[in-house]
Amino acid sequence: MQSPRLTALVRSIALFTVLTTSALAQDVPSQVDPSWIAPASAAARTNPLHASALPGGRKIFQHTCITCHGDETHARSNHAPDLASPAVQSEPDGALFWRISQGNARHAMPSFSNLPEAQRWQLVLYIRSMAQPKEAAK
Amino acid sequence: MSPCRFALALLLLLPAAALAQENPYFVTYDHRMEETGNLEISTQTTIVQQKHNLPTLVAPLMEIEYGWNGWWTSELYLEGSSQMHDTAVFSGWRLENRFRPLLRDHWINPALYFEFEDTNEASQLRKEIVGHAEPVTESLAVLRREKSRELEGKLILSSDVHGWNIAENFIVEKNTTHAEATEFGYAFAISRPLSTVASGNECRLCRENFRAAVEFYGGLGDTEVFGIPHTAQFAAPGVVWQLSPANSVKLSTAFGLTPDSDRLLVRLGYTYEISGFGSKVRRAFSGRD
Repeated sequence: MQSPRLTALVRSIALFTVLTTSALAQDVPSQVDPSWIAPASAAARTNPLHASALPGGRKIFQHTCITCHGDETHARSNHAPDLASPAVQSEPDGALFWRISQGNARHAMPSFSNLPEAQRWQLVLYIRSMAQPKEAAK
Repeated sequence: MSPCRFALALLLLLPAAALAQENPYFVTYDHRMEETGNLEISTQTTIVQQKHNLPTLVAPLMEIEYGWNGWWTSELYLEGSSQMHDTAVFSGWRLENRFRPLLRDHWINPALYFEFEDTNEASQLRKEIVGHAEPVTESLAVLRREKSRELEGKLILSSDVHGWNIAENFIVEKNTTHAEATEFGYAFAISRPLSTVASGNECRLCRENFRAAVEFYGGLGDTEVFGIPHTAQFAAPGVVWQLSPANSVKLSTAFGLTPDSDRLLVRLGYTYEISGFGSKVRRAFSGRD
């Protein structure tokens, strides 16, 4: 026999779920997050990969990052930083690797720790290469 | 809404590239949330081969998953069941929410899972294995008349270590329709891509596009009789193939390990991910980003 109190509880939970789903469904725009700084030990890590791994990094970037961060052929989302910008390029390799690995769930940056470590370093190689055409043009 | 606007909305929903990063699990959850604004549509089919000459069951499932933000994902399931020489029925729906309390990655990452199920007893999905094993001896047409509303909670623990993912789920389920004991279950899984380095060329059969896994799942009894006796236990090797950034196919075969388990569960799934779905819908209806 179904208890009326239990039925009311279940209905309340279902209603709460629907209402919160509608009310809280908002993206938080990306902005500088002062707490999202790589620890010194992580920032000091160097990329173990050779430049020959760069094409693989480009492929991973196009599959995982391009929708938000864009590149020369794809528009960048307003919420994501330009990875070719001096602010990003001035970061050491270890810091970029840390940011890719950790993500920043508050600002819609997913963690990519599910990618093997080598693939994350391949991404760092590719992000470095994004600044090169502009520098060469100067 | 005008037909033009509707057509525009549909066009905006067409495929965009985003790697789904699917894991090969069918039962176990890891700590990963759906990416913010992405919509994932999956279909799964579970074929249940029972013991003792009981009929084979087929349970299709459709999942719609949306990432609200970095720490919250919702999922709606619509499921059915069919039985050889019997009938095919719609067996109900489930609404699930997953939350990630810690926003940064740690060596072990918890996530909380809450689900409401409005199904009937014809549900044969084996989406999670809890409580004690009960073979299906009645017709689905009879079983479907019996409603079942359940609340389910999971504690998900998951780690990414050197390319491996290790995930553990502890499951509690309570039937709110009938005065039944609270049931318990678990799932454990480990997976790894076949290659840790990405090749430079676009290829469907590259090793990095495959991820292999083994899942172990089963019931742990209930509040009346806790423990392994008279429960179903499975070991399930599986693989996911990332066909393209938005498409993946996964397959798993679960072998029953105890006398009360089904002999075999064969699961096949296809997933399609629409990246940036939320912002596309907002743009279509508001005209701004």
